[in-house]
Order: sequence, then structure tokens, then C-alpha cells
Amino acid sequence: MAKELPGYGTIDVPKDRVVPFGAVTPAPVCQQDLFQTSNWRIVRPVKDDEKCTRCLICYLSCPDACWVYKEEEDVMEWVNNFCKGCQICIQECPSGALTAAPELDFPDGVVRLNKPF
Amino acid sequence: MAKAKLLTGCRAAAEGAKAAEVEVICSYPIRPYTAIMMELAKMVANGELNAEFVHGEGEHAQLSVVLGACAAGARAYTGSSGVGVTYAMEIYSPMAGGRYPVQMSIADRTLDPPGDFGSEHTDAMSTRDQGWLLGWACSPQEVYDNTLIAYRVGEDHRVMLPQMVCQDGYFISHIPDTVTLGEQSQVKEFLPPYRPIGPLSLTHPVSHGPQIRPDQGAPMDAQRAQTFLAVPKVIEEATADFNRIFGRSYDPFVEQYKLEDAEIAFFIQGAHSNTARSAVDRLRKQGVKAGMARLRWVRPWPTHQLAAALGHVKAVGVIETSTSYGGAMRGGNLIHELRASLYDLDDRPLVTSFMGGLGGETMWPADFDHIAKILTQAVTEKKVRNYVQWLGM
Repeated sequence: MAKELPGYGTIDVPKDRVVPFGAVTPAPVCQQDLFQTSNWRIVRPVKDDEKCTRCLICYLSCPDACWVYKEEEDVMEWVNNFCKGCQICIQECPSGALTAAPELDFPDGVVRLNKPF
Repeated sequence: MAKAKLLTGCRAAAEGAKAAEVEVICSYPIRPYTAIMMELAKMVANGELNAEFVHGEGEHAQLSVVLGACAAGARAYTGSSGVGVTYAMEIYSPMAGGRYPVQMSIADRTLDPPGDFGSEHTDAMSTRDQGWLLGWACSPQEVYDNTLIAYRVGEDHRVMLPQMVCQDGYFISHIPDTVTLGEQSQVKEFLPPYRPIGPLSLTHPVSHGPQIRPDQGAPMDAQRAQTFLAVPKVIEEATADFNRIFGRSYDPFVEQYKLEDAEIAFFIQGAHSNTARSAVDRLRKQGVKAGMARLRWVRPWPTHQLAAALGHVKAVGVIETSTSYGGAMRGGNLIHELRASLYDLDDRPLVTSFMGGLGGETMWPADFDHIAKILTQAVTEKKVRNYVQWLGM
């Protein structure tokens, strides 16, 4: 052919922005910080350990596995980086141990961050 | 050398899946593709194929089941037709983005309404922007062959993408033609076992399909686009190996029939290319320098190969067996991409399109004579009068 046609160019993704192949990541997600998804949270659940009976209903009802039972200390632990503030756990808690608190009330509240994470 | 048998396209697809030793199959009935699953169910029941056969509760479930199976490391197989293809639409993008090289066999059928049974490519063509490999066969033999070629390309670690292996409903799926099945030793030489990347595992737990952040969306899209830049080379390698091992002579992207000295050409994909080929022969006997380019892959689109194959022709008639209502040329989609592929040539061919074989109607030899007449007229007048002509009205 007489004339060379345009090519497709090259696509260079900067190393620090490369997403893992197929977005497959080590599990459980709460142990890695690649795909943190709590940056749209406007409230977070705050727990009253006096009222909490460790019934694990929050653990069962959380769609993002953001409540973990810490056996050694016998407490429920909240996973900050993945809780989207949906408040299902607050609705489901039978002992009223959970309340919703605005992110603005916290120094590390996600709404205060210029660049989330 | 294996003996040729008379097989339908559906049976040929099932034989291809069996030869590929698929491990998980998920079915849901819709004609005409459903005969593929009937054949596979028989093979599993008779102990000829050691696969998990799952019956889904719909096409969305079908695709979800094979996604999970593939994530767990299985070679997975599914398929559909017509509205079944579109019902599963949500899963196509995650399947490609998550890099699951599942194969879906499509026997085309019109979309509803009005619930026509005939073949039309719009079902699978509607998925062309979802990141799958997509291409059409024009014979039961090519259905069998493409089943193996698509798995080999899709499962290559430079690719890792799902594949749609399409055939025209009824014209290919239900009309028997001679098919030479490969020996299992040939299949083994051509198609290595599926090696998943980061599969679900109890010993090395991984998470598939996480939510990503908006700032991760752009690089991920770019990485998927990057992969498509690598696909053509893999298709070339796989086709060359297939031709060598199985004794075939496929062009990787575009079948070129009597194009060298052609002045007018049909551009087509799928079943009606068989009628087009004989039309070329007949027209040549009448002194018309006709040729045909048949597309084997829609995704990735072979831009440069088409420019090389058709650049010297004076007028090209695109035969569309799918619709793109309100599109730039108001007909189908192939003309858009073909015109774009030829645009940068200094002396590009005139291009117009013909809506043919819609609703499952046959494209008759006379249709191609009509197309040739309009193309010859365009050459004489040095322009096309219309972007699109609707045949058989």
C-alpha cells in the first residue's frame, strides 16, 4: 500500500496507577488497601461496648464484611476503610449498641479529605 | 485423517466444546442455539464428556454460573440466541473486565418484537462494546474450528478475554454440512489446558470483582484497551497454528475471495457469504470483476487488514444482517466501521450498504446481482446515491 495508515498509538499506564489484573486482590479485602470504598460515607456506626452483647448480627448483616469479632479481646471491630455508612448494622442491632455519627464529627472523617486515601 | 461427517452448526459447536474438554457448561433453552446444549447434555449423560452440566434459570444466571466456574479455574462454556443474548447483557462487561475467558456460542436470532425465529446478527452485535472477542463463522466446519481457535486466543495470558463464537441461526445452526472433526491429538497440540490467573482458592484466598474507585476506572479501561492492542498478534499465531495442525487455510481476519483484481466487492460476515461467493463466480462469468471480503472477527476489528484487502476496489457493498436504527448511515453497523477503516486512504473505495437477510430471510442470488448493479452504477457515476438500500422490500 502506498500510504502508511495511522496506528493505534501506545497506551502507557503509569506504574502507580496500574490496577491489578482483572481487579483480583488478596482476600479478605479488609486486609489490603487497594480498593478502599469508604470515601462516600457521610455517617459511620459508633458502638457502645456496654450495650453490645456480641450477638454477631452486625457481622451477619453487613454487606461489606465491616464488622469483625476479635476473639482475644471479646469485642466487635469496625473496618473503617470499607464501611460505606449504609447503616444496616444500626437498624439490625437488637441491643441498640450502634448509633450513626456524622463523618464531620471525626478528625479523620472521610468528607474532610481532599484526596480520599 | 478423520473422516468428514454431515453435521449441523449446533452439533459442530458441541463437538468443538467436547474436543476442548470443557469442564462446566451452563444452559438455558432458546432456539436455535438450544440444540448445542441438547447435544452436550447427551454427551455428558453418555459419559463421552466429563463436565458439570448446570441448567440456569435464565441467561443472566447462565453467564453468572460460568463466570464463577471460570473464576474457580474451570474451562467454562455457555451460549444463547436472540433475546437470550440481550437478557444476559449485564454480565458481559464484568466478564471481560474481570478477565474470564469463558466461551459463549451464539446461534443468531432476531430480537423481539415481533418474536421472529429467523436469524439476524443484531443480538450478538449489540454486545460488541462490552470487551469480548466476537466473530462469525460461515459453515458448521468453521463453527467447530472457531470454537477451538477462540478458546486458544481467549485463554492466552496476553489476552484472557471471553469469546463469542457466532453462527447464523438455522442457515448454519440447523443445516447439516460436511465437517471434519479433529483428532484429539491435534486438539491437544493446538489447545493447551486452561491456566487461570489468580483463581479462587482455599489456600491462597483472593477477592474477585471488588468495587473500584473512580480514579481507578480510567487506568483499568486503558489496561483493557491495551490488551486489545495485543489480541491481533495472538489471533494470527493461533490461526497459523490451527491451519498447520488441522490442515486448513483460514485468513486470521478477513477471507479474501477473488479480490486481487476486483472492481466491486461484497463485504459480509456469516452464512450469506456462501451465496456471495457463488455470486462472485457467476458475475465474473458475465464479465463483472467482483470479489468478496468476509469478516471473521468483529472484535478486534481488523482495520488495517481491511484497508489492505479492499483499498484498491472501486466500490464496496456492505451486506448488513443487523440493524442500527438511526445510526450514521441509517442501516447497520458494519458500514460505519468499514468506512472508518478506509477513510485515511488517499484513493478510497465508494462504500454503500445493503440490508439483507433480515428477519431470517434468505439472501438470494438475485439479491447479489442487484447489489452488483448498484455498485457498478456507483463506479460509473463516481458516487453512491444512498448510504443504505433495503433488499427484498
